[in-house]
Amino acid sequence: MRKILLLIIFTSITWAENPHDHMTYFNEDHLHEQLVDGKKLKVDPIRFNKFVMGVTDSQIAVVNVKGMVCDFCARGIEKTFTKDPNVKKIDVDLSSGKVLIAYNKGQEIKFDDIKEKILINGLNAIDMTIINL
Amino acid sequence: MGIRITFIFAFLSFGIDARPISYSGGSTIMAFSDNMKNSIYYHYSPSYKYSIGIEDIRDKYFNEDYSYARFTYLINRENTKFSQRNLYFQSGLSSKGFNNYFYGMHGDWETRRLFVGFGLKKTEKKIQDYLEQSYQIGVAPYLGDYGDLHTWVMLKSKKNSLENKWSTYPVLKFFKGNTLMEIGYHQRTNLDFHLMYRF
Repeated sequence: MRKILLLIIFTSITWAENPHDHMTYFNEDHLHEQLVDGKKLKVDPIRFNKFVMGVTDSQIAVVNVKGMVCDFCARGIEKTFTKDPNVKKIDVDLSSGKVLIAYNKGQEIKFDDIKEKILINGLNAIDMTIINL
Repeated sequence: MGIRITFIFAFLSFGIDARPISYSGGSTIMAFSDNMKNSIYYHYSPSYKYSIGIEDIRDKYFNEDYSYARFTYLINRENTKFSQRNLYFQSGLSSKGFNNYFYGMHGDWETRRLFVGFGLKKTEKKIQDYLEQSYQIGVAPYLGDYGDLHTWVMLKSKKNSLENKWSTYPVLKFFKGNTLMEIGYHQRTNLDFHLMYRF
């Protein structure tokens, strides 16, 4: 019993030491809990882990997009963001209506800029969450 | 003759207008072919709200060549988390002169699983005018991921004022990456083919 209590305390301390905006992306529950805007993120953890594989010193903008119902229509998003030299990688998740964008660490990410880039593709970005790797 | 013309316009209106505007700065080239007509249409979208383009037509039935300078405008779009609805105005001015042009409306609503669309098109010709109306429903039998091959099974129905009869036929639509292909079949027109590439 004492060992279990010690384990719980140790886990809690480890958890508390994580910065608020630094998300542990291996656990789906963590994704749901640690959000900048307090909303549910609902990122597929398998997809997210696959996306960040090999990506280091980065921050990931998870952008919630309205109207992204078709692969053919979302092609422009990938094209637009890959032209940005600050963008390292991008992924379009049609099933959850989210776009994952990997930026260099330290790069200022402006939601208005992302919103504009999404808009010129005829879609609407409604919110964004930043995850530091 | 009227029946064949109706089929041509049905595929033109639903095929070529299926993606009438690209993303800002995007170009699209389309090729269409059936037993009556070959068409190549290129359009450029300075903005996601409109596109300008040229459609070159080899009319097998009337044995003539002509082109349309085309303009398409997005009148209204509503994006939701699970759907998109569009309403377009479309127009074209023929190389045959100012007496030859078309205009119309095209609308669609789609989710990842369902598609509903309609088209209304009035073609003014020096010899004869046409009014076309067409409707389309479709379902995606599976939901592909981004980059996968996507498939739609569709049913089209249309009526042309030339023959004043409804025609309904199945169409399969496939797209992967920047390429889209539609294949329709009708016992009178045999195979119709529509290919689109966006860049």
